[in-house]
Amino acid sequence: MAAKAGAAPATYSPSPTANKKNRPPIFTDIDWIRPDGRDFHQCRPAFLRTGAVNAASGSAYAEFGNTKVIVSIFGPRESKKAMMYSDIGRLNCNVSYTTFSTPVRGQALDNKDISSQLHKSLEGAIMLDTFPKTTVDVFALVLESGGCDLPVVISCASLALADAGIMMYDLVAAVSVSCLGKNLVIDPVSEEENYQDGSLMITCLPSRNEVTQLTITGEWSTPKIHEAMELCLDACSKLGKIMRSCLKESASTSQE
Amino acid sequence: MVGLSVGEKHFIQGGIAQDLRTDGRKRLTYRPIFVETGVIAQANGSARVKFGGTEVIASVKAELGRPSSSAPDKGKVSIFVDCSPTAAPQFEGRGGEELSMELSAALRQCLLGGKSGAGAGINLSSLSIVDGKVCWDLYIDGLVISMDGNVLDALGAAIKAALSNTGIPKVNIASASTPDEQPEVDVSDEEFLQFDTTALPVIVTLTKVGRHYIVDATSEEESQMSSAVSISVNRQGLICGLTKRGGAGLDPSVILDMISVAKHVSEQLMNKLDSEIAAAEAAMEEDS
Repeated sequence: MAAKAGAAPATYSPSPTANKKNRPPIFTDIDWIRPDGRDFHQCRPAFLRTGAVNAASGSAYAEFGNTKVIVSIFGPRESKKAMMYSDIGRLNCNVSYTTFSTPVRGQALDNKDISSQLHKSLEGAIMLDTFPKTTVDVFALVLESGGCDLPVVISCASLALADAGIMMYDLVAAVSVSCLGKNLVIDPVSEEENYQDGSLMITCLPSRNEVTQLTITGEWSTPKIHEAMELCLDACSKLGKIMRSCLKESASTSQE
Repeated sequence: MVGLSVGEKHFIQGGIAQDLRTDGRKRLTYRPIFVETGVIAQANGSARVKFGGTEVIASVKAELGRPSSSAPDKGKVSIFVDCSPTAAPQFEGRGGEELSMELSAALRQCLLGGKSGAGAGINLSSLSIVDGKVCWDLYIDGLVISMDGNVLDALGAAIKAALSNTGIPKVNIASASTPDEQPEVDVSDEEFLQFDTTALPVIVTLTKVGRHYIVDATSEEESQMSSAVSISVNRQGLICGLTKRGGAGLDPSVILDMISVAKHVSEQLMNKLDSEIAAAEAAMEEDS
């Protein structure tokens, strides 16, 4: 990590001008100022690096504003003896929070639920038939929880999988939006998540334009879902490009 | 796990492609729905729901509790689902845990709305008794008794029926209490308040087999699915929650199409369920 510290952090945001919207957004009244002064449709700057852990077969570190996540991949290695024979590989996901990740100590969300969501988002992207009878372990640690933890964990995990050389159809990019009153805010921070009326998270394979997971909470009308999905997919494709360039960068530095 | 031969798999897939499923249904037809309410005497409300071979029980228990400091004017609701080993041998011991957790999480997401409480099927403010002091804790427990596909929709329907059947005891608050003290409450065992269930959504799971999607899949059909999307829709036709299962990815346009199909199907299911629940309530009153 230290050797690459000099590199400029890659940032992204689906800039309003690039939003090729052919119809005007439904929600125009602005009655909310975001705590970190961003525009509603502006993502936090993303910092991504691969190779954070030496012992792992692949690893990645991601920092989106205050949300800091580290993911290590171990394997493919032999499945546990108790497991039945399987002609496709297994994916084992585990997300944990550090005790100091939240403002109140040890007040983290349900790990099991997040782990199963991570599994559901990744399994569609990985070519499981390339490593039969074996298991790939995905261990994610949320160092600091600053909102949007799950999408950051998912994006970081797919980067780590690529770093480990696990065959995938495409990288998985994840973005969520919160609905606050009439407004849709992308990439919400913790404060916004605590007051949200609803949320929508998309994980997708940007170059295949395929959605591997979509979760919606709260009450949504169909046009609002349309707008939120469009916004997320646009942001996902931009995040995908940054993830790709991060991988290319690390590959070129290792060759030198 | 369903063991199917290659021929049977082709038969199921081919049938779905031709809009004639193995049990003679069309793609968007439900199995016969059976509802019975008031099946558990100890609970405040309960219901048993059958979707063909899938059978589930939901019970609602209300207990007095203290509201959390972050939301002093609201009650609390917890939803848990248990998968009994009587439904399938693999649920023995800890085997059912993963499915139980997944189902509970999906139900919580569909029924409880966003963090701010907007769009929730269960109005948490109606469970408050004294702000910051006393509230109702609603425990909703689901039990899967027999499993033949489409468990989530059945559980959603059972919870809806159980809540329609729920009577929350009337509470009288002793007026003379200082602001610091915990007020004394008197729970009536004769007067009950009917729980308002008009905002509760129904859950429609669309299972994608091949290029088509079906509702109310049996476990044989579920074994052939590429992915399934569970959408909960309320009476106003608004989406209250959505989750996806299964590995294969979907095109965004397919998801939007599924949402519009689910909205259409949910109307019929909502009406069907309402009439079944009303009939079950009437039958229960006749018995007593």
